[in-house]
Amino acid sequence: MLELKNVCAGYDGVDVLHDVSCAFPPGSCWCVLGSNGCGKTTLLRAMAGLIPHRGQVLLDGREIDGMKRRDLAGKIAVMSQVNTVYFPYSVYDTVMLGRYQHIRASLFGGPSQEDRATVERCLAFTGLSDLRRRHLDELSGGQRQRVFLAQALAQDPETILLDEPTNHLDIKHQVELVDYLRDWCADGQHTVVGVLHDVNLALRLSHNALFMSEGRIVRSGSFAEITDAAFLQSIYGMDLSGFMRQSLEFWREIP
Amino acid sequence: MKTGLKIALLSAAGFVCLLLGMGVGSVSISISDMASIVRCQLSGAALPEGIPAITASILWNLRMPRAIMAFLTGAALAVGGAVMQSTLRNPLASGYTLGVSSGASLTAAAAILTGFTLPLLGRYTLALCGFLGGLSTVFLAIGLASRFDKNLENTTVILTGMVLSLFVNAILTVLTAFSHEHLQQLVFWQMGSFSGQSWQNCGVLLALLIPCLLVLVRYGREMDLMTFGEEQALSAGVELKRVKLLLMAVAALLTGSAVAFVGVIGFVDLISPHVTRRIFGSNHRLLIPMSALFGGAFMVLADLLARTIVSPRELAVGAVTALVGAPFFAYVYFGRRRSERDA
Repeated sequence: MLELKNVCAGYDGVDVLHDVSCAFPPGSCWCVLGSNGCGKTTLLRAMAGLIPHRGQVLLDGREIDGMKRRDLAGKIAVMSQVNTVYFPYSVYDTVMLGRYQHIRASLFGGPSQEDRATVERCLAFTGLSDLRRRHLDELSGGQRQRVFLAQALAQDPETILLDEPTNHLDIKHQVELVDYLRDWCADGQHTVVGVLHDVNLALRLSHNALFMSEGRIVRSGSFAEITDAAFLQSIYGMDLSGFMRQSLEFWREIP
Repeated sequence: MKTGLKIALLSAAGFVCLLLGMGVGSVSISISDMASIVRCQLSGAALPEGIPAITASILWNLRMPRAIMAFLTGAALAVGGAVMQSTLRNPLASGYTLGVSSGASLTAAAAILTGFTLPLLGRYTLALCGFLGGLSTVFLAIGLASRFDKNLENTTVILTGMVLSLFVNAILTVLTAFSHEHLQQLVFWQMGSFSGQSWQNCGVLLALLIPCLLVLVRYGREMDLMTFGEEQALSAGVELKRVKLLLMAVAALLTGSAVAFVGVIGFVDLISPHVTRRIFGSNHRLLIPMSALFGGAFMVLADLLARTIVSPRELAVGAVTALVGAPFFAYVYFGRRRSERDA
């Protein structure tokens, strides 16, 4: 289980997260919500051990700071949003890089049968089997995001952290990506924690929500139970539920 | 085309370039004569009739060390460039980005101006000074960058390297301005040349190149991950800071050693990795040795042109690498992209 206890973290000596505590039990899917600059990305980066922190980030009771990166990578994967691909890699090679921590580090060592089988499985799961030989710069934004999802899955982690994974994707690909993640989490053994700006999309991923404001977790739990119109207004600075209802009325009129 | 066939073709092209580099010049030497001379030199047998001693001497003492040194230098610079581009995730990075050339030039210039010679090293003093200067500048750049940014992020490293490089270059310009009597020697060193290379130089560079290549191939997967970004590499399990420092040190060692022996030669370190990626893909376990092969072959050809195109005068090899390399690079890089787009 991934757990944060009184975590403070930030950049250049300035804390962005203040005394954050939360826990993500195995088999749960969470969306982190809040307005711009509230500390969502910093929370994810602290959970992945990508930035230094004070307090405790515990993985199955062990502080992640004391873990080797290879060991941590076997437990937590981060699905990054790689906007610029400078050098040509094929889809297959990119997904195989997700097996890095499983492949023995040596001069002549290569992927094992198990590594190849895992990559095949991840390609099939994300619908990329037919694109395996294509280079990343020949793919659409949606296909590329699926490649990085497949790479994160190939790590065979227990938890995947996602930071706005649907940016720049059209609506179809946004829904597809979120559905892939929900299916992955459905076996009850895997955990997904995703930062998403689109509240509707976040709710499609999970009804477990964690709301942040000014570097603190202000509420967490089942979305329906912890939110109301006034609370959403205080988080987003606008009448969010009113806006959603307006949108719903509009869509009801579309035949 | 299959990868094995591509490797065989590039290897054959590299060998042909070496043969051209050894056989073509004011005295042409045929392949069969080259084979006879090499056989006699290695076995200590007398030269066959019809091969003058002067021809054997030209091949064994001048052309062979020169061509082999050009090959090794091209290989070292190309590999250094490939590592810097991946490690710093910047297609424009090269072995010189962190100030290897400016540091090496400054210390070499100081040695030339002061006439400083180490007792046991003699003519190797200049090379050693260049090597130490290049390497120190890189470590100074990394040291300064780590003071500004504990995570050693790429932009910090690149900016620190460039600022330091400009600063060192400015000192070099001031030194050059006050040293009219050594001006020619300074300029010649800064433009690079393979004349006067010896078998000993080849041996030293080869002894450095082979272990460096093995280390880099071992860290190929780490470099693959680093090209996708630092967070990507970290979250995949790479001990980023340690690996990055190691890779930069190896790249600086390769570039610094090459610059120390032959002076500053640009462009090959920039274009070789890009051209090789276009042919073989970006997998570093293949890219590193193939960049070495391509860079080596390219440098031998550039040196051949430099010493024959306006013979008996000799051009600076750095000028030739840029003159030949720029259009070739444009053809390979942009031509391929256009054909991919049209497909």
